[in-house]
Amino acid sequence: MNYSWRAEILAIFRKEWRTEMRSMSGLVTAFLFSVVTVYAISFAALNSKLPKTVIAGMLWVALLFSAASSLPRTFLSEEEHGTADLLRLVARAHAVFWGKALFNIFQCVATSVMLSILYLGFTSTPVAIPWLFAVSLVAGCLSLAGAVTLCGAIASQASNRSMLAAAIAVPLLLPLVALGVSGMRVSLGDGTMASGGTASAIGLIGYAVATLATGPYIFAAVWKT
Amino acid sequence: MKTTLKSIFALLMGVATVWSFTVPDVAEFQAPGFARIFLWHFPCPMLFTFLILTGAWFSIRGFQRIELKPWRFEPETDAMAKAMWDVRSVACMELSYLFAALTMATGILFSEIQWGAWWSWDPRQTSFLMVLLIYAAYFALRFAYTDPSKRAAHSSAYALTALLPTLFLVFVFPRLPQILQMSLHPSDSILGGKIKGEYAYCVIFILILFFIMTAYLYNLRVRAGLAEIELDNKNERLDNGGDSAPTGVVRPVSLSE
Repeated sequence: MNYSWRAEILAIFRKEWRTEMRSMSGLVTAFLFSVVTVYAISFAALNSKLPKTVIAGMLWVALLFSAASSLPRTFLSEEEHGTADLLRLVARAHAVFWGKALFNIFQCVATSVMLSILYLGFTSTPVAIPWLFAVSLVAGCLSLAGAVTLCGAIASQASNRSMLAAAIAVPLLLPLVALGVSGMRVSLGDGTMASGGTASAIGLIGYAVATLATGPYIFAAVWKT
Repeated sequence: MKTTLKSIFALLMGVATVWSFTVPDVAEFQAPGFARIFLWHFPCPMLFTFLILTGAWFSIRGFQRIELKPWRFEPETDAMAKAMWDVRSVACMELSYLFAALTMATGILFSEIQWGAWWSWDPRQTSFLMVLLIYAAYFALRFAYTDPSKRAAHSSAYALTALLPTLFLVFVFPRLPQILQMSLHPSDSILGGKIKGEYAYCVIFILILFFIMTAYLYNLRVRAGLAEIELDNKNERLDNGGDSAPTGVVRPVSLSE
C-alpha cells in the first residue's frame, strides 16, 4: 500500500474531522472558553474604556490559553484511547504531523475568529488596520497550532500529559504573544506601522514558517519512540 | 597532578576576584563601585548561550542515533549511544540553567543599584525571565518521563523546539528598535567598544576562568551520568538473570551416614 503524501495527510485530517464531528467536544469547549473569557474580561472592565494595548494583550492571552488547552488533545486522545500504535503502523510520521497540524490550524482559526468578533463587539473596539489584524490573527494561529501540536506530541506519553502539554507549550509561545500583541496593538490604532506594525507582521510570519518547517522533523524523531 | 591544577585554578580565581575589585571606576554608572558586578554578570549569559547551543547539538546527535530519516521505519541502532548523547545534552542544559539563574540574580542586584528597583519590567529582564520559564519546562518534561529512552527522545525534541524562541528572546527581541527605545539595559557595551582597557582584560580573564570551570563541571556531570547508566544496566542484567550462575549447576552436599 503506497499512498501519496497528500492522500495520507488528508486521511489523517479526515479522521480528526470525523472524530471531532462525532463528539464536538473540542469545538464546543473552545467556543465556551471564548464566550466565558470575553464575558469575564468585559465584566472585569466594568464598562470602562480600556487602552488599545491592554485590549490587544487580553485578546492574545485568551487566544494563547484557548489554544494551549484545546489543541494538544489530538495527540493526547490517541494515547488515551490506545490508537497511537495503530496510527504509527498505517501512516508516516510527517503525514501524521501535517494532518493533525492542519486540523489544529482549522480549529484555531475558527476559534480565533469567533473570539475576536465577540471580544471586539463586547469592548466596542474598532479595527484601524484590518489587514494587519487579519495577518496577526492568521499567522498567530499558524504558529500556535504548529507549536502546540508538537508540544502535544512531546507530552503525549508522559503520566500527567494534559497539564504537561499546556505547561510546556505556554512558555514556548510567550515570544509569539509579544509579537502578536505588538502587531494587534497597531492594528487597533495604537501606534503606526513604522513603530512596530511591520516588524511584528514579519516576525509572526517568520515564526509560523519556522515552526511548521522544523516541526515535522522534530516530531518524527519523537513519534517513533 | 590534578590537585596541583585545582590549586592553580583556585589561585587564579582569587586573583580574578581581587582584580575585579581594583579595576578603575567607570563614570557612566550611577554607582561605579557596584558596577563591577558587570565583570561577573557578563560571562554568565555568554556561557548560557554557548551551553544551550551545545546542548541542542548533542540533542541532534542523539536523534541521529535513533533515526536519521523520519520516513523510514528502522529499529533502534544503539541504545547506549543514545543514552550517552542524552547525558551530554542534559549536562549542558543543567549548567546553562545555572548560568541563566546567575545572570538573572546578578542582573537583579545591579538593577536595584543602577535603576532603583529590583524588577523594573525592563524588556531585557522580562525576555530573559521568559527564557528561564522555557528551560524550567524542559526540566518539568524530563521529570514527567520515567522510561530513560522516552525521556531522552522527548526532552531532546523539546530542547530543539525551545531553541528558536530562546535565540529570538536573547538576540532579536532586545535589539528591536521599539524595544531598544524602552530598555534601560545597554546593548552596545561590547560591540560598541565601550568596555575597554583594564575592564575588558578583567572581563575576558573571568570569562576564561568560567569556561574552564564549566568544562570541569560538565566533565563531572557526564561521568556521573554515565556511571548511573552503567549501574542501571548492571541491575537490569542481574534482574534478568544474565550474570547469575547457569542453570544445571549442582552444589555438592555432604550426606551423613
